[in-house]
Amino acid sequence: MSVSYKPVIWNRTKMIYDGVLLAGIVVYILLFLKLAPVLSPALQDTDLPTQRMRAFGSLALLMLTIVLSIGPLARIDTRFLPLLYNRRHFGVMTAIVAATHAYYVLGWYFSFSPKSQLTALFASNTSLTSIAGFPFELFGVFALVILAVLAVTSHDFWLSFLTPPLWKAIHMGVYFAYAAVILHVALGALLDRRDLALGFLALGGLTLLCVLHLVAGRRETASDDAASGKIPEEPWIVIGNLSEIAEGRAIIGAAPGGERIAVFRSKGGLSAVSNVCSHQNGPIGEGKVVLGFITCPWHGYQYSLEDGCSPPPFRERIRKYRVQLQGSAVLVDPEPLPLGTKLAPIPIPAEFLPPAVKKEGMA
Amino acid sequence: MQRPHRRAHTAIWTGLAVALPLAVAVIFASAPKLPADAPAVRLDTGSAQGEQP
Repeated sequence: MSVSYKPVIWNRTKMIYDGVLLAGIVVYILLFLKLAPVLSPALQDTDLPTQRMRAFGSLALLMLTIVLSIGPLARIDTRFLPLLYNRRHFGVMTAIVAATHAYYVLGWYFSFSPKSQLTALFASNTSLTSIAGFPFELFGVFALVILAVLAVTSHDFWLSFLTPPLWKAIHMGVYFAYAAVILHVALGALLDRRDLALGFLALGGLTLLCVLHLVAGRRETASDDAASGKIPEEPWIVIGNLSEIAEGRAIIGAAPGGERIAVFRSKGGLSAVSNVCSHQNGPIGEGKVVLGFITCPWHGYQYSLEDGCSPPPFRERIRKYRVQLQGSAVLVDPEPLPLGTKLAPIPIPAEFLPPAVKKEGMA
Repeated sequence: MQRPHRRAHTAIWTGLAVALPLAVAVIFASAPKLPADAPAVRLDTGSAQGEQP
């Protein structure tokens, strides 16, 4: 977290995630080299260097498609959340695979050029005014540069240095990298050899990603538009009903401006906090209370129920809001309290507590 | 996510969902096609790689 920066803070989950990822990469490359020439007419009679560059190129496209689908999948169904946990390693690995593809391309096509390999790459096709003949390599270079920048700035140091909103804005560049990859593939491999499998991967993946992102976006917009209602004569908003909140979980409402507020229920008390995690702006209200701390579902960042601060020695903070009960209706003042303000959870009246908790409270 | 980020996200994907399929369609539509009177034996087909036409 925020105390010191290490290249990677390894834990068992990350090791398993990366192990599976690396194994998947190795299996894909081996299968591609052994089976693809048998299965695909487009890859028959090709030499090993060409097969190798196509193996890494198609793998980079596949990995980019998967990495871009993780976000909306996790928004649509929480069972995909484990994939999100170490998504940055997935992205860095994608950049490395894409760079390997570029390395093989340069080595194969431009090794014997009298100019430097990069100069030869940019000078080999100058049909800039043609559509079908446009130098598709440029789109590949553009995408690779973006992926490299994102991989280099993927570390938490840059996240903290740039602040989460700016960091996330920069990392949305991956969408433009994806667009460039699709144009690179369409103008290059698809136009050149009409490879059905690659066409399915590129165009099927594009369709899948568009549908997933638009469905997830539509749901988010609907949640934003359904801002929680105000109660008469007061700025307080109604977030929901107490009966909707499970122990250790939260319900989420939206302030009039659209920013979301989560109300957690834990050990007979209610606490309202910003729904935006200070790490990567994750939806903290979709997390749960673990060992007395609100825990973000994305990367496990934790915050105290009392003041919204991470436990020492960590320094992350989220805003708290005032909360009250009117009958069983949960009301929140949409004006956030200054960061670090202590506000004890409000007690839930005994009539709303389940029998087991009542006995515990009396003891 | 914060609201501006969510809105930017939706706008970008709406743009990509429209622009990319269009761009791919234009690319394939503008691919050079063989003229009707093109010879049956061509150097850019498999028969040029040492096989008998």
